Amino acid sequence: MARRAGQRIVRIALVALALAWSAFPIALVVLSSFKPPSEIFAVPPTFVFTPTLDNYAVLWREYPGFFRALASSLMVAVGTTLLAIAASTLAGYVYARHRNRFLSGTAFGLLAARMLPPIIITVPLFPVLNALRLNDTHTLLILLYAAFYVSLGTWIMRAFVAKLPVELEEAAAVDGAGLIAILWRVVLPLVVPGIVAVAIFVVVFAWNEYVFALIFTTRNAKTAPVVIGEMLGTVEGVQWGVIFAAATVQLVPVLALVTALQRYLVAGLTAGAVKS
Amino acid sequence: MVSPTLVLLLAFLVIPAFYVGWLSFTTSTYGRESTFVGLANYAQLFGDRIFWRAFWNTFFLVNAIVYVEVALGLGLAVLLSAPMRGKALIIAVILAPYAITESSGIVMWRYMFEPDVGMVSQLVGRAGLPQLEWSTQPVATLFLAGTIAVWHHLPFTFLILYAALTTVPKDVLEASRIDGASDWQQFRLITLRLIMPAILIAVLFRYIFAIRTFAEVWLLTEGGPARLSEVLAIYLYREVFKYHQFGVAAATGWVMLLMSLGIAIPYLRRMYVEVRRGA
Repeated sequence: MARRAGQRIVRIALVALALAWSAFPIALVVLSSFKPPSEIFAVPPTFVFTPTLDNYAVLWREYPGFFRALASSLMVAVGTTLLAIAASTLAGYVYARHRNRFLSGTAFGLLAARMLPPIIITVPLFPVLNALRLNDTHTLLILLYAAFYVSLGTWIMRAFVAKLPVELEEAAAVDGAGLIAILWRVVLPLVVPGIVAVAIFVVVFAWNEYVFALIFTTRNAKTAPVVIGEMLGTVEGVQWGVIFAAATVQLVPVLALVTALQRYLVAGLTAGAVKS
Repeated sequence: MVSPTLVLLLAFLVIPAFYVGWLSFTTSTYGRESTFVGLANYAQLFGDRIFWRAFWNTFFLVNAIVYVEVALGLGLAVLLSAPMRGKALIIAVILAPYAITESSGIVMWRYMFEPDVGMVSQLVGRAGLPQLEWSTQPVATLFLAGTIAVWHHLPFTFLILYAALTTVPKDVLEASRIDGASDWQQFRLITLRLIMPAILIAVLFRYIFAIRTFAEVWLLTEGGPARLSEVLAIYLYREVFKYHQFGVAAATGWVMLLMSLGIAIPYLRRMYVEVRRGA
């Protein structure tokens, strides 16, 4: 019995440690965004303080660029998600329902493409995109991000379509429904969980992506993660409280989304990565 | 119907990736015609001490990230596979770092490790231990960058392994218990073997993604001081956007690509067989 109780205490302690490891850095920054600047680096650190919205006020007044970037991030995230879902659902349906040499070849290609380190494409793409005047546009980020995620998306949608009984589609076809009607009225409503799974991966990626936004945007399409990075890169006097406010504003919506939809993450990972 | 997916992939990933291979045999920069130079870029790359520094930094960083993270992820998955109250909430908290953008993650960790005034720096200072000099010591920079990378990606590794653990059949475990297996034997001889495919996939995906590490180091020191904490992605970035040495950058890219594909070959080979079988 003593051994059981001991095991229980160790287990609780380990879970507490894991929770602290995951949540403490986030909670610290969110809480500190409500601290007055004088207390942010207090020695010793303070945990009880009078909350203030000063940092948010400064962010609003002095960094209009951050809110423009937030709007950019939103546009890019929504655009990428719509494009990736449309492309992945169509392709996933075909891969689930049809089989030939071309399809198995390209299905393998989808997997292999995920192994390429995307940063290498900046070398040839940068001059081409300059020539096409696509640099620093939302369109470009949407196309790039969708390209990075259609392979996972297609793979997930293929798994979800494959689980549907094909008889439903056959029955609809007998009733005279065309391919578009079958897809739209029969298949689509039944693969909503798959679509949500794809959407959550894509939204989190597009909302948070840093490297490609840093490389391919300068002004118009600059996204929030890049602006946060710039605020941190100020050589003299990083305004920590203001950065904390910006980070908090940026993270709240996506953290809420991940928390609310976590079970779709598991479903998507299982369909897209672990199994074939 | 597959064309939108294939066009996106070809236009933005596959064709540029192979075009990089061609570029690595040419010399080009702004305002000059590119000319074929054979292996000169590779000769320059392999003769550059900064490249080798970046290569070995990447090598050690990637291996540390992968094995620490998979070990932690496995431990966490085993810990949470036991029934307990509030498990959904616990998992939600553990997944939280997945939702955080890289730049905010670095804000969080820098805040704790800021020299002298950061919370952790104060704590180790008071305990009489030396602080982590991440802004001046390359080893310390990479250590902190690796810690942040593990923090960011542990949710992903944990989820893969946790999902695999839930598929281990209960009756097999019960049967072994009746046969007198201890907890450790049960784990080592049954659970570990059954989830080995998932562990290998977690290892592989983390290798592939860790090779791309950029933001963690870039936002801490930009690869400094004196380019000593650079990783390959930063080396490539500098060659393109600072020195405009597209040929050398392309050669760096091709090295990264071959490393990634090399690691992925066993996985790709197995998937190839499954896809051909029509699985």
